[in-house]
Amino acid sequence: MMRPKSTMELVPGDDETYYLNMGPQHPSTHGVLRLRLHLEGERILGAEPVIGYGHRAHEKMAENRDYLQFLPNTSRIDYLSGMIYNLGYCQAIEKAMQIEVPERAEYIRVICAELNRLTSHLLWLGTYLLDLGGFTPFLYAFDDREKLLDILDSVTGSRLTYSYGRFGGVSMDVDDTFLRAAADYCTYFRKRIDEYHALVTHNIIFRHRTKGVGVMGPQLALDYGVSGPCLRAAGVARDLRKDEPYGIYDRFAFDIVTAEGGDCFARHMVRMGEMEQSLNIIEQAVGGIPDGPVLAAKVPKRIRPPAGEHYFAVESARGHFGMYLRSDGTDVPVRLKLRTPSFVHVATMPVVLPGTMLADTVAILGSIDIVIPEIDR
Amino acid sequence: MSELSLPNIAESTDVDYSERGMQHQHTAAAADMPAVAAAFRTAGYSLEHITCLDLRQVEGIGAFRLDYQFNPVEGPVDRHVVQAVVAEGQAATSIAGIFAAADWYEREVFDMHGVDVSGHPDLKRILMPDGYTGFPLRKDFVDEDPERHQLSGVVLEPGAVPGDEPAAEEGADEV
Repeated sequence: MMRPKSTMELVPGDDETYYLNMGPQHPSTHGVLRLRLHLEGERILGAEPVIGYGHRAHEKMAENRDYLQFLPNTSRIDYLSGMIYNLGYCQAIEKAMQIEVPERAEYIRVICAELNRLTSHLLWLGTYLLDLGGFTPFLYAFDDREKLLDILDSVTGSRLTYSYGRFGGVSMDVDDTFLRAAADYCTYFRKRIDEYHALVTHNIIFRHRTKGVGVMGPQLALDYGVSGPCLRAAGVARDLRKDEPYGIYDRFAFDIVTAEGGDCFARHMVRMGEMEQSLNIIEQAVGGIPDGPVLAAKVPKRIRPPAGEHYFAVESARGHFGMYLRSDGTDVPVRLKLRTPSFVHVATMPVVLPGTMLADTVAILGSIDIVIPEIDR
Repeated sequence: MSELSLPNIAESTDVDYSERGMQHQHTAAAADMPAVAAAFRTAGYSLEHITCLDLRQVEGIGAFRLDYQFNPVEGPVDRHVVQAVVAEGQAATSIAGIFAAADWYEREVFDMHGVDVSGHPDLKRILMPDGYTGFPLRKDFVDEDPERHQLSGVVLEPGAVPGDEPAAEEGADEV
């Protein structure tokens, strides 16, 4: 198996090497991440990520408040897929307590989660191109993301930290305006994807910066548990929405997008393809949404999952987000472990970065789409 | 990929996946974890996470429990959770030599619960700063910083934290 090279190992008799701290204050680390790089000229010999600058003790907070009080925290762990995390937490508790969710609420959840996935991928696309030095795509991507945020804002009242889910459904019903806006956006965005391909994917500079750079092979899934677009870019068709369907994802026809090579370009192609699949899911959900209540009638007043261990995982925009809950049958969890995808992905940097050039660090770090608050929790 | 056969397992129970989200729970001795992890790896399972539980208040025994969760990389979900109890003051055994992901998870267990891990390549704090004292996810954790102590969940007696003495009651010696 692959072992990370320790950054402390200096080559004997070689005084040409040096250490460089990238971050914790650096625009390309997308937050307060510090990379301790061991360099020889511009070639990377070793890398050690130093994390924890944004630690907010979410797991400790979960042990000190009841289940409902922890709900707002969930959208703040990965603030870019806050809706997916928030709904995932609700689904975890519902599964543990066997609460039935009304049909309409399930459809609304799928629409909102996929809209949220689109916002996350669009933000990634914009900032990634910004990392690589292309300013224009950033403006297009953020413009399109803004339209999505308006749609989500109209139903949740919030742009990022949604807290829209409730145990047994969602907090508010959607109206026809929302459904029409979501469907119209799908029509609009399909054409935009072609434009993004023309602007970004077919750009020769972009290809040179990303092809063959930062290869994360399928082996990393076994060694590290890499998931999400990073894994699918290595050709492994693994998606929790298909493999371990939660909610009503098993009712929709969509493909698991994969690519070959596992390099930065492959990860770009996977995310572009995933946006298209999200559109497919949204269109099917908008077409099939039934009338009815959006909150289960019989939700226990006191949320007390049965004693013991429970695990629930959802496919966030970054990969496998899991919640490991130990309950003792009271109002407060004994332990809530949050298994976040970015934590794993940044842990692979000591094996992915060595051998690449310093300038590629920015391209690689951007391409794995890390969100620091979910690493530090 | 070979069939999964687990050595050194003390006890196994099957649990209801539709309720619990996992299929199997096992108990193993902490020292046997490398052998157990190697068996999972041979069968094509990856490590999903390592969690620690402070048993001292939960079950009233002076120990911590490490939960290791495994799931196949390919094919249908078959989730195993192996529980290894580590007595207070004793060390868990590292599986970082088998699953590279365990490196950070074990550091997190050390950082948050103060469980020593023997055989770990570089055991140090991961989320808290290097010079920090105390282990935040222990149930009896008290942050020495009076402004943050409400996070711990432990109700402090007034005066237990320096600088937190109750103000003298006004007008107490009147009348």
